Amino acid sequence: MFFEFFSKEVITALKKPMIYIFIFIVALLVFGAVVSDNVIIGGVFGDVKKNAPVVVANYVAILNIFGLLFATAFFNNAALRDYQYGFQEIMFTTPISKSDYFFGRFCGAWLLSTLVMLGIYLAFLAGAAIGPAMHWIGAERVGPTPWLAFLNSYLLFVVPNMFFAGAIIFALATQFKSTIVSFVGTLFIIIGYIVSLNLASDIDNQATAALVDVFGIAAYTLDTEYFTPLERNTLAPAFSGYLLLNRMLWFAVGLVILFFAAYRFSFTTKNSKQKKSATKSAKTKAAPQPLAKPVLSASAQHHTGWATFWSFFKTNALSIGKSTTFVILLLFAIILLVSNLWGGFEYFGLKSYPVTYKMIDEISSLASLFVLIVLVFFSGELVWRDRDNHLNEVVDATPHHSVISLLAKTASLVVLGSVLHLVLILVGMLYQTFNGYTNYEVGVYLTDFLTDGFVLYLVWGTFLVFIQVLVNQKYLGYFVSVLFLFVLDILFSIIQVESKMFLIGETPQTAYSDMNGFGPASTAQWWFSNYWVLFGLLSLIIAGLCWPRGLNRSLKDRFATSRKSLGKSYFGTLGFLGLAWLAVGAFVFYNTQVLNPYKTSKEQERLQVQYEKDYKKYENVPLPMVTDLTYYIDIYPAERTVRAKVDLLLRNNADRPIDSLHFTLDSDDPIQLDIPNSKRVFFDEKLGYCIYQLNTSLQPGDSLRMVTHYAYAAKGFENEVSNMSVLTNGTFFNNSDILPGYGYQKGAELSDKNKRRKYDLPERARMPELQAECSELCRKNYISEGHADWVNVDTYISTSADQIAIAPGSLLKTTEKDGRRQYHYRLDHPSQNFYSFMSADYEVATRKWKGIDLEVYYDRKHAVNVDRMLDAMQKSLAYYTTHFGPYYHRQARIIEFPRYATFAQAFPGTMPYSEAIGFIVDLEGEDKNNVIDAVIAHEMAHQYWAHQVIGAEMQGATMLSESFAEYSALMVMKQETTPLQMKDFLKYDLQRYLRGRSSESDKELPLMKVENQGHIHYGKGAVILYALQNYIGEDSLNLALKNFLEAYRYQDPPYPTSLDFMRYLRPQVPDSLQYLIKDWLEDITLYDLRLKEVACTKNSNGKYELTLDLIAKKTKAAPDGTITEVPIADWVDIGFYADNEEEELFFQQRVYLDQENAQLKFVLDSLPAEAAVDPLRLLIDRIYDDNSKKVVLVE
Amino acid sequence: MSLLKITNLNKTYPNGTQALVDVNLELSNGMFGLLGPNGAGKSSLMRTLATLQEADSGSAFLDDIDMLNNPQAVRQTLGYLPQEFGVYPRITAAQLLDHLCILKGVANKNERRELVDYLLQKVNLYEERNKSVKGFSGGMKQRVGIAQALIGNPQLIIVDEPTAGLDPGERNRFHNLLAEVGEEVIVILSTHIVDDVKELCTHMAIMNLGRIVYNGTPADALSELNGKVWRKTIERSEKEAYQSAYHVISDKMVAGRPQIHVLSEVNPGNDFEESEPDLEDVFFTHIHALQA
Repeated sequence: MFFEFFSKEVITALKKPMIYIFIFIVALLVFGAVVSDNVIIGGVFGDVKKNAPVVVANYVAILNIFGLLFATAFFNNAALRDYQYGFQEIMFTTPISKSDYFFGRFCGAWLLSTLVMLGIYLAFLAGAAIGPAMHWIGAERVGPTPWLAFLNSYLLFVVPNMFFAGAIIFALATQFKSTIVSFVGTLFIIIGYIVSLNLASDIDNQATAALVDVFGIAAYTLDTEYFTPLERNTLAPAFSGYLLLNRMLWFAVGLVILFFAAYRFSFTTKNSKQKKSATKSAKTKAAPQPLAKPVLSASAQHHTGWATFWSFFKTNALSIGKSTTFVILLLFAIILLVSNLWGGFEYFGLKSYPVTYKMIDEISSLASLFVLIVLVFFSGELVWRDRDNHLNEVVDATPHHSVISLLAKTASLVVLGSVLHLVLILVGMLYQTFNGYTNYEVGVYLTDFLTDGFVLYLVWGTFLVFIQVLVNQKYLGYFVSVLFLFVLDILFSIIQVESKMFLIGETPQTAYSDMNGFGPASTAQWWFSNYWVLFGLLSLIIAGLCWPRGLNRSLKDRFATSRKSLGKSYFGTLGFLGLAWLAVGAFVFYNTQVLNPYKTSKEQERLQVQYEKDYKKYENVPLPMVTDLTYYIDIYPAERTVRAKVDLLLRNNADRPIDSLHFTLDSDDPIQLDIPNSKRVFFDEKLGYCIYQLNTSLQPGDSLRMVTHYAYAAKGFENEVSNMSVLTNGTFFNNSDILPGYGYQKGAELSDKNKRRKYDLPERARMPELQAECSELCRKNYISEGHADWVNVDTYISTSADQIAIAPGSLLKTTEKDGRRQYHYRLDHPSQNFYSFMSADYEVATRKWKGIDLEVYYDRKHAVNVDRMLDAMQKSLAYYTTHFGPYYHRQARIIEFPRYATFAQAFPGTMPYSEAIGFIVDLEGEDKNNVIDAVIAHEMAHQYWAHQVIGAEMQGATMLSESFAEYSALMVMKQETTPLQMKDFLKYDLQRYLRGRSSESDKELPLMKVENQGHIHYGKGAVILYALQNYIGEDSLNLALKNFLEAYRYQDPPYPTSLDFMRYLRPQVPDSLQYLIKDWLEDITLYDLRLKEVACTKNSNGKYELTLDLIAKKTKAAPDGTITEVPIADWVDIGFYADNEEEELFFQQRVYLDQENAQLKFVLDSLPAEAAVDPLRLLIDRIYDDNSKKVVLVE
Repeated sequence: MSLLKITNLNKTYPNGTQALVDVNLELSNGMFGLLGPNGAGKSSLMRTLATLQEADSGSAFLDDIDMLNNPQAVRQTLGYLPQEFGVYPRITAAQLLDHLCILKGVANKNERRELVDYLLQKVNLYEERNKSVKGFSGGMKQRVGIAQALIGNPQLIIVDEPTAGLDPGERNRFHNLLAEVGEEVIVILSTHIVDDVKELCTHMAIMNLGRIVYNGTPADALSELNGKVWRKTIERSEKEAYQSAYHVISDKMVAGRPQIHVLSEVNPGNDFEESEPDLEDVFFTHIHALQA
């Protein structure tokens, strides 16, 4: 009998179109992604193939989430079909076995659900064949068909996921006999997954998350986290690691649920719900005296527009608000928000204060998602409400106006959506309260709600109602709605339409900043909002004309009926709204297309290609070097206007005369050049390239003066704000922003490997190769790219009276004139031609340390960490001046800027520091060093590494600045921190490196040859140099650095390379450790250390004898990712912890290992709780969990 | 005294069904019964009069209101109880009636409350006014339906198959209600239950296949058949033989055996007894006449 039910379930479904439609949908989704060059999901990048095993597995894992919706349909159908057709009484009176019925149906649905996912594999097969054939993607993007990955991903993801989810859905369905409850179950599973994602965002919880995630995605991600591109292309998901554990766990849970449900399952039908009000009737009052028929006053009748509106609004709002669906969605949204807030705002193990903008970001994205679901679902419900309840004929025969009822229904929809949003805001404020944050900015919340939420809800609410009315078929209407919500965006992005005037409900996004409020997009947002609101109202009014009053179905009859009852005022409103919409639309169009034209990303790309093709030939044309600059800058914050005049002195440092100057002007850039005794001989208006011919050649050693004029004034509003550096409060721009591009701009070239191939551009080296003999190449450093060496800078800068303007160097003079503040700054020491200008309404905290002014410029709301920042600057300077040498500026400034960017950056003596990091991080109870101190120490270190010595533009250059700065910062931290705390901090650097290399798009290079890649020069640099000082001694490494610095400090070209540093490092490394230089800096070396066994006995003198069996392997990675094992001959630490929390490392010894399998013996005075190899995690080992083991005493 | 005049009303559905074929009717105050089998076009006629459906051609005037072209005016003075009267979930009887009162133009809040109370009392649901209507029995729902049809001062009340599914007690109560309001206004009662018409209506029409096949008073209809209806109880096996030999207008089971009625100007003999004609005979006679 089991087989009867099973096969019947499967065969019936196979005969129906549904399953094929599902398979088709899944296949189409995946196919589109596989053959498109622009869709990058599942971990495709660089050399990772479009159908690499890991990519296949990621697709399968992720699409399983969508697959759940299909699975719900199958399982729910299998469980409830008999009930829905009222067939259960017939079915269950036949002599069938309960378990055969139950499991037969279940297994049938299980098989069907997994079949849907086969669409993924079909799509991969088809995509790999068709994509290259049609030249949609290059043939090199496709690898061999990964059959094993197909099989294993099916067995590891599809089968168990559908089983687990099916068990829950089937259990719910058989228990509650309600489709809604089944879908709620599905939603709960998905929510569980999202919660585990939040968990995984914290590095310490990754292992937990890997087990908690019911889909196994987090487990698989963790297993493959550090896979190199090569491994991604070759390794199929395996029955091992966290993934296997996770799968077994959830399969087991599924089994338990299923058997419990089978046990509870019964053929007898439960009584349908008891009448709730049976007992209540006794309480109602006795019938009153018979009433006389009331006489209706004539005047009260027929003027009921508002009453009708209100009554429709009330009944519809109640029907949404009280519905299970709405309540469940609301609860989900709340759960998700709390979970997001709980796990969010992590930054190197620290949490930010829950400032309002953080809350807004979370709330808005979550609310808009849930409200859109509400809008889609209830737009159908409301439009069909009367008909679904068979009340339409009565209602339609009353003399109310259809338009009023439509308005009221839509209003109730939008209001209920808004209620959801507002509830989330309330939850956000409660969260703030729980965290002791009491600066409730209700106005900010509400403004954000109105501009970001309400407008969107109104537009989509009205438009979805319009769709439902027009389509006049509920489920088709849902389909069309979803099409508009998702597919339209994709379509427009394909055909390169970026104007927000076409993307329904889209407005330029604002981001709230404590410094700068809602920012420069506000005006545009206001106008776009009007445009869309009018569009929404218009579509609603038109919907009134198509409203199916009565029983008319065809559009013609609907029009005919409506016209009879819609009067002049209707058509007047229609005309008025239409005109208003057109007028606002024209205004928006004028501002965003005519006044502020923009290029689409494709156009931009083509320009880049053209630029490279036409002007690459001028890359090495000799140009005079910039030596002196005087800036005259006027900032008008309120008008978002900047005017700048710059006097430049240029000197011919080449050995032959120079007769022309080359510039690249951005075509929309408002820059004018004034070069005496010259004429413009070439100007490419489209690409901005121009050449000035000098009347008399500039002889070697001679100088010339030129002047540039820059003027930026925001006009009208834009489709997307193009200039985020000139702001009402928090202006922050670099010198390069107001100067013309000097010569050919290499940075403008297209860098993506696959795109370059598409445009037939030659392969592009990220950086010139590192070479020892580099006479010409070493004349350029990687910051100013050969256009300047050390420059003198003088700045006259003015701003409004309520702001402070900052330029590099010492402040020589401040005057206040005509309501403006004017400052004169001068750089104390020639520096790199790389600095910023800022203006905002700042508070200033200062401290004098050994003749140096330490200053923090901050927004008054962000005073909390300012003292610690001054401390950090002082500590950094103390260490650096002691170990590296003098500081050449008279001041060190930290300057806050709005959160539109999140970084800190070092310019000579000044360090702009984003509002989003540091200033709002909660440091309460953090008495030790932390990431804020680390960031400051890092930027302070750049005053040496980058601003005193700077690498030639060549591989390895950023090691000399970024890695050294990172190392210096670690040394500042180390002074007040234990080695174990340092290990806790460094794990983020290690993760950054290992993750970064796993998404390497080109090839991985050793630290010494880093090509300006963050994961190597920050992440790996920190780990390697920290380990190096641990092995050779802090003083030795510092001495090497100091000697290197002294040799090259503020030196004219040639600039040093990483090879030059090696010359200073080698003498400081003892012979026994020279191998470290090769392994760590010159090669890519990975370790695999494992502690296999620990045996512990107590000997006769009361001491403990420990025998450790360990495995130590060393591998070297080639740039393409291939791994070769090399014999180990390394010094490695062995340590013993007193506790299982690994907090007290009481014994540590460095031992020499020259065999893969080693047995080591130790005698200790006390019994350790845990033994570990490389306890401080100095060596780069991808799997660290197996480095330690609990110690068990054998009696 | 109102007058409803329907002239040459036609409606054909997109699938080709002729729902109304040259319908002409004239009726005034009082109960008007519209009889017809399922699918005769009764509901199409009712819905067209209730402004819910467009007609292809023809006209309908309620006094001087052009019903087909001025639906809003009709709706001001219309009470309508459709064949299917459903209710919203999560709403009480009083709330539902209040909502419908507003839609019918009763704006004053106090007046509305009085009216709702009055109507609820009239349909004997006052006790249940604060209960969810969704949980009401079929008869109770139908009473809510008639209550809403009485809102305002309708000059035209249309009720479409109102007694289907009601038990005899409910049905009697319903008839009493209708009879009471039917004295002052036009009430059109569409039904396929002959007894409803017999008990209530002063005028009637019979519809079949979209056409009016009889229009007059029930009494006239009966007198037309006087002495022409004959009945006989027969065996089941003889049915076909009788059908070919006589003009059989109906056959039904009486005490477990088939009884046939035949139409004949003279006594057909063969043990047929004369039968007092009833409306059912009228109904079948007219319907079969058309089909024959």
